Amino acid sequence: MLAIRVEDLVKTYGSRRVLDGVNLDVREGEFYALMGPNGSGKTTLASIIAAVRTQDTGIVEVYGKNPAHAKEFIGYVPQENFSSPKLSGRENLIYFASLMGYSRDQANQLVAEMLENVGLSEEADKRVAKYSGGMRKRLEVATAIFPGIKVLILDEPTTGLDPAARRAFFSMIQGIMDRKTSIVLITHIGSDAELASTVGLIDGGKMIAKGTPDELKRKHALEDVITVETAAKTDSVLSVLKDFSIDGRVGESEAGYRIYSQNGDRVLADVVRILDQAGHKVMRIEMSRPTLEDVFFALTDRHLQEATG
Amino acid sequence: MRQISAAYIKAAKELLREKSALFWTIAWPMIWVIIGSFSFTGSAPPEVTPYIKGAIAISMMVFALMIAGMSNLPASIAGDRANGLLAKLISMPVKPYKDFLGRISAVITLSFLAAALVIVVGIALGARFAGAGVQIPQAIGFVFLVICASAGVGLMTGTLIKNLQGAIMTGVGIAVITSAISGLFAPYEVLPVPLQTFARVYPISSAQAAIVHLLAGPDMVAYNPLTSSQVTLTVALSFALLVVGTVLYTRLGWKLE
Repeated sequence: MLAIRVEDLVKTYGSRRVLDGVNLDVREGEFYALMGPNGSGKTTLASIIAAVRTQDTGIVEVYGKNPAHAKEFIGYVPQENFSSPKLSGRENLIYFASLMGYSRDQANQLVAEMLENVGLSEEADKRVAKYSGGMRKRLEVATAIFPGIKVLILDEPTTGLDPAARRAFFSMIQGIMDRKTSIVLITHIGSDAELASTVGLIDGGKMIAKGTPDELKRKHALEDVITVETAAKTDSVLSVLKDFSIDGRVGESEAGYRIYSQNGDRVLADVVRILDQAGHKVMRIEMSRPTLEDVFFALTDRHLQEATG
Repeated sequence: MRQISAAYIKAAKELLREKSALFWTIAWPMIWVIIGSFSFTGSAPPEVTPYIKGAIAISMMVFALMIAGMSNLPASIAGDRANGLLAKLISMPVKPYKDFLGRISAVITLSFLAAALVIVVGIALGARFAGAGVQIPQAIGFVFLVICASAGVGLMTGTLIKNLQGAIMTGVGIAVITSAISGLFAPYEVLPVPLQTFARVYPISSAQAAIVHLLAGPDMVAYNPLTSSQVTLTVALSFALLVVGTVLYTRLGWKLE
């Protein structure tokens, strides 16, 4: 079942076409990352799906309805911190629960559960002004996951968070996914998008690619890079490594060699075994995987971070 | 009703926890009541002094109401737009008019609190009021008109000025300048004729004159603000400002593009 359907979406601001014939489908329970640089149109697309803005032409449906008539299903977390710093975390959530129509008693009970779910029970009565960036973002996600919400739209939720806060944030998202909520994550960070089941790449208002992270990497022939350092650099080592690398390509690094594979996990162990059998001691071996930033680069000849500015 | 009370509770808590809002709305008018009570009553006959102090307290109470409506209300609106709350609210099944009613109710609460505290300070410093009986509810009615007019201006400012600091400064600017040129800070009779006309047309200064007339006595006002034509003008313009502000806010305030 489709949770979100977007077809031939066009949006212009003045003479600038921000979205140019975008198509997008998100299935029920799917975790969809929409990745692109600043100005690519991803935030505008998210805000149209969230009923905050309207399109010029094209179709947008949330569970078969115009988003303006499906607001009870949509949980939207804008990029800016919208929780009130003068209120506590609990007071903020009770405010949003009351806006959703819950009575005071219902709101109190529900908010206690939600604070527990997002790991903020102990900080619930502190003013939000005293929260860290990660705590505040988790609180704001809680405002968008009230019972009945089926589509969660997160606009750049990890911008400015440190690695520990990012991990905590995505652990919480994992918990939400278990409830079959569809999630649309807007991001320009490849490692965030890697966590999604489907990634859509957007640039210049157009969807330029879509697939699982692995599909996108395979489709654009991006390989794992294995760096091998042996006790000595010899022709014999080079000859062994050529057999493992795509097209026999072997690059040299300062202390060893680089080989390329689309199946790095399996090749890694074989390289160690064969070199060992040939009497070459492996001093260091490591594999780096291609990232979604590499996919973006392959498609646009621009680095995502540079394009993001 | 739950959405209105949610918006009311949030806005009221934010206002009461905002030190600068409390200072400009409550402490600043109180300071001027204290200064005015000692500075502007020296040459007056002793029997008149308590009523002059009463008139000063009323003027500062009106100024407090103006700041609440013209500065605190637009600050709340512009702040919520700047920090993304407006986008969040638009994405939710929330009606703009319910948010409006909640916000304005919070401003009315703060206004009455500020008004009561300023009057209490005035009384503590010797202010006396001549009004009694039906004049008291009539005066409260004019207080309500001041709140309506101020809130109307505040809604317009908060809707049209997108920047938070810009909205606050515009609100304070309008409050201070219109107070100065409409006789809130100076006796009506010392104003130039064009400004005397403005003072009678501007609904906040004409309502203030009516409150002073009712509570401190007719001798404290240089014209009669309670003629039927003057009262009609004051009521009509106060509600007109509120209606224009409300329409602007509900039509344009909830649009991000």
